[in-house]
Amino acid sequence: MSAWRVVFQKELRETLRDRRTLLVMIVVPVLLYPVLLITMEQLLIFGMRNLEAEASPVAVIGFEASGLEEIVDRSETLRRVPIGDDPEEALRSDSVTAVLIVGAGVEASGSRSMTLMYDAASDASNRGRGELSQAVTEWQDVLLADRLDAEGLPRSFAIPVQVADSSIARPEEVGGYTMGRILPLLLVIMTLLGAFYPAIDLAAGEKERGTLETLLTAPVPARDIVIGKFLTVALIGVIAAALNLASMLLTFQTGILQVTALIGLEVSISPMAIVVIFLGLIPLAVLFGALFLGIAVASSSFKEAQNALTPVYMLVIIPAMLPVFPGIDFGPLMAILPVAGVSFLFRDLMTGGVDVALGALVLVTTTVYALAALAFAARAFGSEQTLFGGGSEASEVPRESLRDRMRERRGRGGVPTPGAAVLFIALAAVFFFWGGIPLQILFRERGLLAAEWLLLFVPAVAFVFLGGFDPIRTLSLRRPTALQTAASVLVILGAVPLVWVVGWLQTFILPVPWELLEGLEQLVTAETATRLLWLLLLLAVTPAICEEVVFRGVLLGGTRDLEPWRIIVLNGLVFGAFHLSFETVIRFLPTAILGMVIAWAVWRTGSIWVGVLMHFLNNGTIVVLASTPALQELFSDPEAPPPLWLVPVGMVIFAAGVRLLRSVTTPPVTGLEAPGPTSLPPETS
Amino acid sequence: MIRFERLTKRYGPLTAVSDLSLEVHAGEVYALLGPNGAGKTTALRCLASLLTPTTGTTWVDGICTQEAPIGVRRRLAFLAASMGLYERLSGTELITYFGQLHGLDGPRLNERVEAMIDLLGIEDFRDRLCGRLSTGQRQRISLARALVHDPPALILDEPTIGLDVLSGQTIYEFIDRERARGKAILFSTHQMDEVDLLADRVGVLRGGELVAEGSPASVVADTGEANLARAFLSLIREPAGEVR
Repeated sequence: MSAWRVVFQKELRETLRDRRTLLVMIVVPVLLYPVLLITMEQLLIFGMRNLEAEASPVAVIGFEASGLEEIVDRSETLRRVPIGDDPEEALRSDSVTAVLIVGAGVEASGSRSMTLMYDAASDASNRGRGELSQAVTEWQDVLLADRLDAEGLPRSFAIPVQVADSSIARPEEVGGYTMGRILPLLLVIMTLLGAFYPAIDLAAGEKERGTLETLLTAPVPARDIVIGKFLTVALIGVIAAALNLASMLLTFQTGILQVTALIGLEVSISPMAIVVIFLGLIPLAVLFGALFLGIAVASSSFKEAQNALTPVYMLVIIPAMLPVFPGIDFGPLMAILPVAGVSFLFRDLMTGGVDVALGALVLVTTTVYALAALAFAARAFGSEQTLFGGGSEASEVPRESLRDRMRERRGRGGVPTPGAAVLFIALAAVFFFWGGIPLQILFRERGLLAAEWLLLFVPAVAFVFLGGFDPIRTLSLRRPTALQTAASVLVILGAVPLVWVVGWLQTFILPVPWELLEGLEQLVTAETATRLLWLLLLLAVTPAICEEVVFRGVLLGGTRDLEPWRIIVLNGLVFGAFHLSFETVIRFLPTAILGMVIAWAVWRTGSIWVGVLMHFLNNGTIVVLASTPALQELFSDPEAPPPLWLVPVGMVIFAAGVRLLRSVTTPPVTGLEAPGPTSLPPETS
Repeated sequence: MIRFERLTKRYGPLTAVSDLSLEVHAGEVYALLGPNGAGKTTALRCLASLLTPTTGTTWVDGICTQEAPIGVRRRLAFLAASMGLYERLSGTELITYFGQLHGLDGPRLNERVEAMIDLLGIEDFRDRLCGRLSTGQRQRISLARALVHDPPALILDEPTIGLDVLSGQTIYEFIDRERARGKAILFSTHQMDEVDLLADRVGVLRGGELVAEGSPASVVADTGEANLARAFLSLIREPAGEVR
């Protein structure tokens, strides 16, 4: 028998003996899930009936309302009770559920004022208000009919338009529409939960129990061990998801829930759709299984792995929730977005309106992501540092003191570690978001200026100095040569039109946030010279300094040990992500590309000053162009194609800049060539 | 049978094992001694192909670990100090699993599993889940699992750690028996009485370097101390390079 099958069989056997896994995989979907739904439904029905069983006590006070009191008294759902002078007190003491205060009578054509007092925080009072309001409407109809009769007018006089709803959706389509928003999310979560515990147990759990070392001394390639483990995790995920799917279908589709019948909501998903949903669950389970396994193996204990995987869990749920929100359409972009694509596909399969091409795109891209995650897991298992870099035995290695770590940092050339740099950026982004928005609301443009300096520049400089890092190396405070500066200028001047083209190409697949763009256009357009200078200070000089110190300073300085392409790509992506918001997805790619271009120039020259200059030129160009009346038309419509001659011109300038910059710099020595990382694997002897 | 040739393993600026050369012959028991952090486990892990040496090579039965790690693992029994077992497998299942991983199947697999159960006195608790076994019982299962494929070389990393006298005795008897069967046994330990009792030769590691090697008696004699425990203490306290 091949080794991976031996590992798979053993892992499956052991996993199926794990109560936690069985609980999540079988007990939750098969028992708890329908039981929970049915219980909730029964409670709902019980509550509704309970409320309806008794007539609501109400009071009608104030002036006499002839006819209304009779209607209330005739109603089976209302019971008129006397109250004192204080209707609010009567409501608060629950002696009545609603009080109608009738205003003085008016002449034939007037409107009589009335106030309906109730307690919006009480179910009984809300019901009383509804019933009483209905009685008032009935009385109003009677009064209206009397008035029309008196004038000799037909009833239709007061109803010029009568609308009747007519939905073409069949009941099962309505059911699919409603359930299609909830069920995909539940399916994704249950698949994820199904893979969650086995992944931790088979990776970190094995390390914690000390069995991984033993396993790796068996004459089996690490690849076979990963495959065996991964198949177990993925299979458990698929089984959990399939059981959930079956359980949900049984619960909703067989009509055992009375509530679906009560509100006319039938759920009927075709057998073909069920098969495709199941097929979609397989790559999803593979993706989760491999991703979780790869992350969990880097943790030394079950608890540590749980901590490491919880943020991943949260991140995965966000795209899975997208179909729940109205207004987000299932298009090519959503199809290629990990997890979101599957969630949208499930929704469309449940509503019966699936686009075959999009469905295929989802299955293909999810399979690609799953394979990438599998490669990641295999790599993690093959890494000496991952396997022996922690574990219970590590406690025998003396813990480093803060001073040791500081010394170690100086040993790395006095720059922060990649983890510390990324953590700083993450914290800065959070503070910038929560602090920057109120500042901008309160002080508008001056608030933006303050946010850049106080929430980006000052924290970055403080981080470098308080962390004891070398500011020259961390922030790349080297003076560039004249040729390096000239080359960097060429690079950015060439890149700006190319990025414009990229931005325009995006409008074919991404929605254009028109309102936001109009606001931005107004912001960057200057009418006077003084205004132009202010805008240049606010939108060009300030970000060029503050954002460069953060991204090409701290982030680039902290990631120098990585391979060059990783430094550049990471820098661009983080820079793009920093400028990202739900309405400004369209800004991500252009900003990320600009970030990469600037990061490459700064990395190559070792000078943040070229980054500051490039950033200034990019932002300054936009402000100046937008403020030039002759050119304003050109920018007013983002969906309009940019002048085509810009593409070759931009490419030539960009290529010339890159060539010149390469010739006037030497690639920096990265940390990869320097002595390696300093963490010591455990040593038990 | 087991050979280290100028093995060096560095973790960044730290050298865990430095230029280690030693050999363990068939039918010989070699005790690797050293304080915590001396490099014993790192050296054993390099031999078992769990770690890649920075420089140097290790050999088992004429096969280079770095060139043919799978071949070496086939010829090696590795008993880690952690004594980790799969809690939700029974002893029999666990021994069978490792037998399968070592390529055994059919009647040969059953024969070897039964032989190990018999040899190490596992019969009474063979079908109990490992999570419910005592420390001594766990150690016997660990040994059975490591030896199920009957390899010519044994690496035992602190095999008696945490065991009571009786369980420890079982291990001693086992080591004696395997030596008699011509196995090369390399074990690390902190117990000097164990070394006196079992080892044909000892090697003392300090700061990753082999600072003394020879029969227990010759190491004691070279240091001029009264016994092995004192000799060991004096060796690990002296600066590296003065004794060899």
